[in-house]
Amino acid sequence: MGNEDYVIEMLHIRKEFPGIVANDDITLQLKRGEIHALLGENGAGKSTLMSVLFGLYTPEKGTIKKDGQEVHIKNPNDATDLGIGMVHQHFMLVDIFTVLDNIILGAEPSKFGFLTKADARKRVMELSKKYNLKVDPDAKIQDITVGMQQRVEILKMLYRDNEVLIFDEPTAVLTPQEIDELMKIMKELAAEGKSILFITHKLNEIKEVADRCSILRKGKYIGTVNVADTTKEELSSLMVGHNVSLKVAKEDAKPTDEVLTVKNLCVKSKNHNKDAVHNVSFRVKAGEIVCIAGIDGNGQTELVGGITGLENVTNGQIILDGEDITKKSIRYRNTHGISHVPEDRHKHGLVLDYSLEDNMVLQRYFEKDFNKAGLMKRDDIRRYSDVLAERFDVRSGEGAKTIVRSMSGGNQQKAIVAREMDRDHKLLIAVQPTRGLDVGAIEYIHKAIVNERDNGSAILLVSLELDEVMNLSDRILVMYEGEIVGEVDPKTTTLQELGLYMSGAKRDHRKEA
Amino acid sequence: MILLIQYTLIFAAVLILVALGGMFSERSGIINLGLEGIMVFGAMAGAMVMVLLPADASKATIIILTMLAAAVAGVLSSLFIAVACINFKADQTLIGTALNMLATAAATVIVKAFNTARSDGTDFSAKLDYVTGHKAFLLHIGELEISWFIIIAAILLVCSIVFFYKTTFALRLRACGEHPQAADSVGINVYKMRYAGVLLSGFLGGLGGIIYIAAANSTWHFDYGVAGAGFLALAVMIFGQWKPERIAWSAVLFAVFRSLSNVNSGIDFLAKLHIPGTLYNMFPYIVSLIVLALTSKNSRAPKAEGIPYDKGAR
Amino acid sequence: MDKKASFFRKSSVQTIIASIICALLGILVGFVILLIMNPSHAAEGMGAILRNFFKYNQSSTTLLYYLGSTLVKAVPLILCSEAILFAYKAGLFNIGAAGQYTVGILASLYTSIALGLSWWVCVLAAIAAGALWGFISGFFKAVFNVNEVIAGIMMNWIGLYLTNIVLGGKKVMDQSTSKTYNILSTNPKALLPTFLSDLFGHNQYMTIALPITVIVAIIILVVLNKTTFGYELKATGHNKEAAKYAGMNATRNVILTLVISGGIAGFAASMFYLTGIEQYSISSSVPGMGFNGIAVAFLGGLHPIGAIVAGLFIEYLTMGGQYLDTNYFNPQVADLMVAIIIYLCGFVLFFRNLMNKGKTKALTNVNDESASDKKKDANDQEV
Repeated sequence: MGNEDYVIEMLHIRKEFPGIVANDDITLQLKRGEIHALLGENGAGKSTLMSVLFGLYTPEKGTIKKDGQEVHIKNPNDATDLGIGMVHQHFMLVDIFTVLDNIILGAEPSKFGFLTKADARKRVMELSKKYNLKVDPDAKIQDITVGMQQRVEILKMLYRDNEVLIFDEPTAVLTPQEIDELMKIMKELAAEGKSILFITHKLNEIKEVADRCSILRKGKYIGTVNVADTTKEELSSLMVGHNVSLKVAKEDAKPTDEVLTVKNLCVKSKNHNKDAVHNVSFRVKAGEIVCIAGIDGNGQTELVGGITGLENVTNGQIILDGEDITKKSIRYRNTHGISHVPEDRHKHGLVLDYSLEDNMVLQRYFEKDFNKAGLMKRDDIRRYSDVLAERFDVRSGEGAKTIVRSMSGGNQQKAIVAREMDRDHKLLIAVQPTRGLDVGAIEYIHKAIVNERDNGSAILLVSLELDEVMNLSDRILVMYEGEIVGEVDPKTTTLQELGLYMSGAKRDHRKEA
Repeated sequence: MILLIQYTLIFAAVLILVALGGMFSERSGIINLGLEGIMVFGAMAGAMVMVLLPADASKATIIILTMLAAAVAGVLSSLFIAVACINFKADQTLIGTALNMLATAAATVIVKAFNTARSDGTDFSAKLDYVTGHKAFLLHIGELEISWFIIIAAILLVCSIVFFYKTTFALRLRACGEHPQAADSVGINVYKMRYAGVLLSGFLGGLGGIIYIAAANSTWHFDYGVAGAGFLALAVMIFGQWKPERIAWSAVLFAVFRSLSNVNSGIDFLAKLHIPGTLYNMFPYIVSLIVLALTSKNSRAPKAEGIPYDKGAR
Repeated sequence: MDKKASFFRKSSVQTIIASIICALLGILVGFVILLIMNPSHAAEGMGAILRNFFKYNQSSTTLLYYLGSTLVKAVPLILCSEAILFAYKAGLFNIGAAGQYTVGILASLYTSIALGLSWWVCVLAAIAAGALWGFISGFFKAVFNVNEVIAGIMMNWIGLYLTNIVLGGKKVMDQSTSKTYNILSTNPKALLPTFLSDLFGHNQYMTIALPITVIVAIIILVVLNKTTFGYELKATGHNKEAAKYAGMNATRNVILTLVISGGIAGFAASMFYLTGIEQYSISSSVPGMGFNGIAVAFLGGLHPIGAIVAGLFIEYLTMGGQYLDTNYFNPQVADLMVAIIIYLCGFVLFFRNLMNKGKTKALTNVNDESASDKKKDANDQEV
């Protein structure tokens, strides 16, 4: 091993959290100038390992070597001093600061404590030109696109002369075109002598850019392979352990009556003066799954908000089963046929400090099944919760009285799905229903959604995961900058075509879907 | 009318300093409801120095030592907030309230004990007289009698504005109030910056406290605390949108109302209205409530304020 | 062993232990302060505070009389803390309770002295006044999104100055003593009916306020835990967004919560001032009762019954200050001790974490993900 030129070596790393071993004896060796992918499912321990390298966590066991010398990285400062930089999955940018301020934060050029931004600006512009990373140094982070925010993060590392660059799932929020661009940038950086660690679970991307790939599974080190010598199928089975088909078995849709009609819907944006949703019209019929695809932040959240009543509608109409509900309260919509698996289960879907049973009746506690003269019918609620948990395989430590916060993400999500599917509904809106879940839970929820369709529900699915979009939907509507720019048939379209719509490069002049 | 200007200047000076203090604390991410208490400690320390200094001490000595004592006491008392809210992640509203109660009780106990000891057990009051000290701060410009305090406050305001917008330190401080994880990821010690924010608020709050009791009065009853001035400063800070230059002019606005309650009988056309002075006292609160209602849609408090930072939980 | 561990992991047990630690630490610090002030008499001073009215133990009548007085004075404190914890459960920090209490004083004394009405009308007026003050804070919060702490602080001062104006008038205030007239002499029918007064050494201030306080605490307990209304309020308190998603009417609930909380605070004032035990005099700062109520609410573990215990304890300490020998100490030392205890209540979370240390491995479900969730929740909270 001695003659290999490793810039970073992480040897036998172990990191524990209360009740869980996130990293168990993991070894990772990064060669100078290579792009090294770190592959693993959600919860495999990739992010934890990188946080250890970046000094955010201190490992219980193991050593880290930089250029063959053992080092102790206690905080991000140490990491920076060693030339290690990281683009976090959730960008570490201050919204109200300018691009320039964000790049220099923590490494500000100054004289007697006063900022000397002119020098910094020159330096940033040079770097931006050299690596072809276009940014506007005076724009505020809150006003720029996600793609540009990521370029700011990359510039932050370059500004600090980092030679080891960590990318933590950088493509999750990008359009296919932006992803291509990022891949190009990464190759250029590597060619310039930077060493790159690339965390992902997307095999195509690994095949495209990575030289070598290390695989983690459930906190354990599985192995390191040369990407060129390994097929996608091999990588996949290394990652998941056994071959899992993500394809959902389903028959063709047999749509019947129209359940949801949205006409010229407009919702104002909270961030800027434009409409977040602009003149959107579409229909969803009973017995079909209509999917809204698009990059995060193109108005999907606001569209769902408008339909469910969480956001105010400025214009247009929402018709549910022949009734105009545009002006109705959330409670009215809840009790007249809309079920909603929300995008963010912790923000909207659950009261985390309530017990499972209390969460199971979140929209129904006042109904006469569960309420008598203002008093909660505790026994009935308990029974109902137990029945639902049984039927949807929701597992919890102490049954119905478990505080939901202590349950795993997958079981929390299953609880929401159980609750929403069991309520009387004509329309099921499911937003990112499988976000952050493991393969088993994803399969389960996908099957449940298809089942719902076959039982005659109208289903509006909003998803950022293209695999999910392609596998599950009967029709796909693509949203871009608040508008529906195209409708495609999942059976005939390609990912490339979807990507073109999603990035605004292609649009149909359509009236209504 | 001159009196009105004098009072306005004094109140404005107090409100500016204390509100700036609140601003630095909140910009770093800690809500400081204990400004009132900090002011009490600052006021007490400053007043005691004025009482204890020998009668023939020079003006400069009095001014410097009094301000220093007030500032130090303010910083020390703000440690109560810093330790509890930063290290122990305590509820910031509760701690602020507790500090306010603590300050009034402690000041009463200390001043009473101080008086008892000095008078050989004849004076049990919670009152301090500091006529010489008060006079040392006076400065005459034509007809206008102003206080050194006001000049010092003006200097500190300018310093604060420059500091807030131009320095590395303030950029980091503001990052901690907005996105502490981001600050941490670039190697900024969030705990340290928050300490700095809170201690700065202690420094300015303590000075505000001594100005409040000494600029216009030569005696103070400490069992009254500082009668809500700290809370008013909080309102000024919110009204000023957590920005130093805006805080300055909102402080002046609030100060005008506050002064009217004291001097309305001295101004002819106001005296004719026969409005009780108490009503003027009420005005700033009513006005700020209404203004808050009208501006709260645009108001932009630091995003991470009130949330304890936990390095482990990322 | 297991059983013992789970006993200490129970959150209610932990809360009680943490509160007791706060109280003991507070007393300890108080003792240190006495030591600093006068080392030779410190032990004696602390003894006086803690022994309190038990120094009358040779005569059970006197003893019971003073016990009665402590109970009477604890009533408004307990009720204020009930008001605060009720709102707190719904996610609202009703710092405005102080002002609601103040306008409660205004209403009960004005109706009783100036208008000469019966006690129950005066009580209703006090509730209405407090509720109105709560409503205004709630309205600003719900409609204009003004933080309830800020609105509450403003309303406190507006309430204080209004009370000073109204109660300072000739009808209500004896201009020579600068105190409001004694209800006992001006309008006895405004006095609350007595309760067990004979048992407590003919303490005329022992009124129905006492049993009513206990009843109010129990009602709050039931409302919070057994009713759909309580379910909604707590859901809103834990997660406002989820409550909205569930179709709960946030605007109505915010206003209603503060109206009820304010009503209780106003009620607290009437339950104290309508005993005739104290008169109001012009004040330059907001009466501390509402703030002390915050303290009691936290010391009582934010539990309606806990608040009763904590309220009695705090009042006991405060009263203890009066038993100090004024040659060596001043009575505010007791206030200082109380303030320290409240300050220490901020560390309850820390004490509880300390108790959980070493046992965390048993909590298998607390994984990496839920830790980051917590942070996210916190970020979602309105500021």
